[in-house]
This record gives sequence, structure tokens and C-alpha cells, in this order.
Amino acid sequence: MSKRKGLAKKEARKGFGISSIYLIYAAIFWGYPFVWLFILLFSKWRFVGSPQFVGFRNITRVLTDPLFWKTVTNVFRFMMYYIPLVLIGALLFAIALNKIKFGKTFIALSFLLANVSSGVAYSIMFSNIFSVNGPVNKALNTLFGITIPWFTSPQWAMFSIALIVIWKFIGYYGLILYAGLTAIPKSLYEAAELDGAGSLTKFFKITLPLLNPSIIMVLVLAITLAFGIFTEPYMITGGGPMRSTLTPMMHMITTAFQRMDPTYAATMAVFVAMISFGMIWVIRKTMEREVDLV
Amino acid sequence: MKKVTVVFIVLLLTVFAFSQTKLVFWTAPNPQQEMFWKEVVAEYETLHPEIDIEWSTIPAAGSSEEAILTAIASGRAPDISTNIFSGFAAQLADIDQLVALNELEGFDELVETRKMGSIIEGWKINGNAYVIPIYSNPVLMWWRDSLLKEAGFDNPPRTYSEIYEFSKNFVVPMERYSIQVIAGRNWWDRWFDFITYYYAAGKGKPYIDTERMRAAFNNEVGQEVAKFIKTMFDNQWTAVDLGTDPFYTGAIAGTLMGPWSIAYAENQYPKVVDDIVITPPPVPDNYPSDQPIYTFADAKGLVIFNTTDHLEEAWEFVQWVFSREDFDSKWLEYTKMPPAREDLLTNEIFADFWEANPLAAEYAKYVPYAIPPAPITTTVDVQDIMTVELVEPLMHGTKDVQKALDDAVKAINRILW
Repeated sequence: MSKRKGLAKKEARKGFGISSIYLIYAAIFWGYPFVWLFILLFSKWRFVGSPQFVGFRNITRVLTDPLFWKTVTNVFRFMMYYIPLVLIGALLFAIALNKIKFGKTFIALSFLLANVSSGVAYSIMFSNIFSVNGPVNKALNTLFGITIPWFTSPQWAMFSIALIVIWKFIGYYGLILYAGLTAIPKSLYEAAELDGAGSLTKFFKITLPLLNPSIIMVLVLAITLAFGIFTEPYMITGGGPMRSTLTPMMHMITTAFQRMDPTYAATMAVFVAMISFGMIWVIRKTMEREVDLV
Repeated sequence: MKKVTVVFIVLLLTVFAFSQTKLVFWTAPNPQQEMFWKEVVAEYETLHPEIDIEWSTIPAAGSSEEAILTAIASGRAPDISTNIFSGFAAQLADIDQLVALNELEGFDELVETRKMGSIIEGWKINGNAYVIPIYSNPVLMWWRDSLLKEAGFDNPPRTYSEIYEFSKNFVVPMERYSIQVIAGRNWWDRWFDFITYYYAAGKGKPYIDTERMRAAFNNEVGQEVAKFIKTMFDNQWTAVDLGTDPFYTGAIAGTLMGPWSIAYAENQYPKVVDDIVITPPPVPDNYPSDQPIYTFADAKGLVIFNTTDHLEEAWEFVQWVFSREDFDSKWLEYTKMPPAREDLLTNEIFADFWEANPLAAEYAKYVPYAIPPAPITTTVDVQDIMTVELVEPLMHGTKDVQKALDDAVKAINRILW
């Protein structure tokens, strides 16, 4: 009995030793910044000296800052274009990839190239393509006699940025959905076919419900991305026109490092995190279904 | 005996290593500037073996400001850093991070030796000189000579009306525009459009009254500049999103540029270089033709942080660098950016360079007329408001000139006051 106890202790020590690597890592890179963030939330600090306690001043300042809420609204506008389009696009990509017989890896990798390409590089590329005298506007003008102010109109600018981000992520999300599709047993479709189900019925009654975990995962990733978007508006529109593409991340970075107000930026970061977590929670609560494939 | 010698050498090296003073020195992450500083630092270390300069470029981050502030916050600020613009210097001085160089012995002599007396006046913050200006880049107008001639202009347009006239002859919508009037929508773009035009039209008048902390551009000069911007957009003689390098591709015939673009043009568009004509920024029609035209100076300088433990050594190094004319000559050779000195055109040491580099020589002429940005701590907010309340409404035609100026000045004063 005592031998077994000793062995259990030994095992426990071993387990603790292995997991301590992660615990130390988390304490340094997650715990410490989290405590520091909490301190900044209630203080005034300008990179030097000790933070001065200011109570809830930073929080009330965020609540009454129209610029911050404008950036949050901009994120919702971005999501309004981004989420449905990227989801439909990625789903079509996944279905197409599932049907392809040859060259699957090549096609998947081609789509993933967009995802791994430099944000700065493709932002420059798209700003050329969509410029006022660029190829897209020239083609539109020749074919239909119209031009679109892609980045110069407050109504269009965020949509144009959403299009660029969709291009970047369609392959990545598509592969997640593709993995979900391949996990659906073929026998389910065969059984449905025997029962006389058509393509649409199969899609809506089998594919879509069984893809629920993958779709939720894509949604969570898309929401997280929307609240952290920075490179594309920073490089292409600089947050304009009329601040219509200014994102919370851009606002936080300029506030912390150019306005030298890191405590206020930290408070905004907490709000952004709460809003995005809130959204994810709502999505999971309302849309997530337990799927049993066996 | 051998053992004793080895121990002696080890001891000697240890003592030598510990007796060295280490100075941490950061410079701009730019290949040409890196080449310059590498040689300068190596020479100083050879002359002063007791000093070890730990030289590096400013660490990779979103911006130099971000890297420096993070370093300050974590207690790892360098002793000396370059690449500091006047607004950032004002912010650093505001949190008491900079050494007031004018209080150090030998400052006046250095200013006299480097011929930067009047330049340094524009850099003073609350009466103190915290920054040694390294370079002063006037922003000037580049024109494509062949495109001007195509539109029947033998000389580049000088005034707003001449630009309007040129635009009428030259612009083909969707194909080509006359000039790029607005540089972009980021806050720093105002340095390269409204502020440059304002300095040019107002003979260098400041756009912020730093004594009274008030915006100072709601006047006749501001109206002329705003009217110019609005006219260009109303008539679709210009556009914002012109793609990359519109000047070189021929999508526009003129644009404001800094001297850093010379090296870029020579490397990327060598065929266009001979077609470039450089003039001062455009001015209102009534601007006297015999008066010099002022412009904006994109200027950066060097500071010593007051967290340094080796102020004396740091200051000696700074004095040594800036008292050497041949270094300014080397800087010019490597970077093509005019050093912040007033004798650029009269000092023999630079003569050969100007002869071999006529485009850079044009920039040298305007160094005495190039004014750095207002030394205020709220540069980002001020210029962000200029963008949202003034420039963008003029571009989109949503406000008239006076309303745009009124709104911008009112909002800026709220921040400054």
C-alpha cells in the first residue's frame, strides 16, 4: 500500500514537473500582463514613474468617448459585410474542394497562400487595384459607365476592406469547413438518397446541421479577427474617410504610443475584449448544437 | 611562468572590460543611415578605447516612438537616440525624460561650429534645446518636365491659378490628374499637404501659436490654402487613391516630396530621374515673386535621455560627431538628406556633392526656409482633427472653406487649451 502511495506521489511530482513549464509560461506571459492590465485600468500612468490611482475615471472616460464607440460601431459594420460573405465563400470553397478528385492539396495550398502573405504587401496591391484610376474602376467604367469610390467614400471604404480580408481568410476558414465535411459519414447521404432526398434537402438537413461545430468555430475566429483588425485600414485608408474605417486597435495603438496614454488604451482594450467575448458567448449560446456523428 | 602570464593577461582583459564605459545608442532603422552610423561609431571607439558604444537601430516595433516608450517603461531606455521629431521630443520633455542640452558645457560652441544657430531655435521646447537636429528635409514640389511640356507649360506652375490652368489642359479623368494635393488620411500626412501649403502661403507663419496654445490658421492664409484644396477636388483635377507611385507612372504630373525620394527614384525609376524638375510648394496668386517660399521641414534629431548614467561621456560623443564637418559630408553622401546646417551652400566641403547631385542641391537651397512641425505634445490629435474637420470635408465637398476652418480651429483649441 505504502509502495503504491509512493509511486502515486512520484507520478504526481512528474506530472507537476511537466505541466510547470506551461504554468510558468502562463504566469509570465499571461498572469503578469493581466495583473498589470488590472492596475492600469484604475490608474493614470505615462510610461515613467508609478501609476497613480484614479478610481473609475478611465472607465467613465471610455463610456463617454464617442470616438471609441465609433470604432466599435465600425467593427460591427465590418462584421456585417465580412461574416456572411466569408462564411458563404468558405462553405462554397469547402464543398468544391470536397468534390474535386485531383490536385486537392495544390488548390488548398493556393488558397492558403493568401492567408500567409504579408498584410502590408497585399494592402499595397489592393490599394492599386481599387485606386481611382486602377484596373477595377477602368473595367467598370468601360463596361457599365460607372466607377466606385472603393476607399474614398465613407459608405464603401469598410466594405472594400472587408472584401480584402475575405480574400485573405476564405481559404483558411474553407479548410476548417472542409475538415468538418469530410467527417460526415457518407452512409448518411446514401440513406437519405434511398429515402428520395434531393440535393437541397441533403444540404439543409444533413450537411449544414452536422457542420455546426465547424461553422461555430469559423464564426468565433471571424469575430475575434474583426475586433483585432489593424493592418488593412492602417495601410489603405488610415482610418478614413471621416473615421469610417478607424478600428479599436488603431485607436488603442495611437492612444498608447502616440498620445502617450497607455492607461486609457488599456481600459479600451478591456472593453473591446468584453464586447467580443460577449458576442462569442451569445453566438455559442444561440447557435451551437451538440453533434454526434457516430 | 606561462601560467603567470596567462593569469596576468586574463586579469588585464577583465580590468579593461570593466573599466570601459558602455553607451547605448539607437539610430533610425534605415540602411543608408545605418551605414553612416556604423562607420562613425567604429571610428569613435578606435579613438576612445575606454568607451564601448552599444550601437543598434531602434528595435522593430510599430514605430520608433512605440519602441522608445516601451523601452522607457521597462527601464531599458538608451543613453542616446536619433530619429526623434519635434512633437515626440516635446512629449518626452513633458515627462522629464530628456537632458536639456543647452545647459551642458560646450553647447553654444557646438551650435556655432555646426552652423545651426537659427535652425535650433525652431526646435526649442519651453526655451530649452533638448534636440540636436541631424537633418532638415524641406518638402518640395516635384514635376514631370515632359508632362508639363505636353500641356504647353515650359516652366512648372508656381501659383494656384497656374496649377488650375495646367490642370484644365492636362487632366483626363480616370487616366491622369494634375497633382496629388492630399498625401493621405493618416495624421502625419498633414505635414505633407496642408501644413506645407500653409507655411508656403504664409511665409513660414506658424499654424499653432505655441505661446498662447491656440490654432493660428483660421486667417486669410488658411482660407487661401483651403480654397486651393477644395478647388482641386471640386473640379476633379486631383484624387486621393491614385495607387502606388503615381508620379513615376505618369498618373500625376506633380507632387510634394522629400529628399529621401531621390534615392528611391534613382533605384526604382532611373529613367524618370532626368525628367524631374523641383520647385518650392505652390503659393497663392498674390505671393510676391521676389520673396523666398517657405516650406515644411521633415526634421529629425538626436536626444540624450536623462536616465543615462554616463551623461558626460554621451555628451562628449555627441559633441565629437557634430563638430566634424566631414561627417555631415559623409551623411549627405550616404543619405542624400541635407544636414541641419545653415552653410550647406557656402561651405566648400559640400560643393562637389551639390554639383554631382543637382536634385539634392535644390533641397539644400530651401533648408533655411524649411520649418519643423509645431513643438506641441498633442501633434497626433491636432493633425487628426485637421484631417477630419478640415481636409476630408474639403475633399468631399461637405463643408465650405470657412466652416471647415472654423470647425477645425475650434476643435483643436479645445485640445490645446
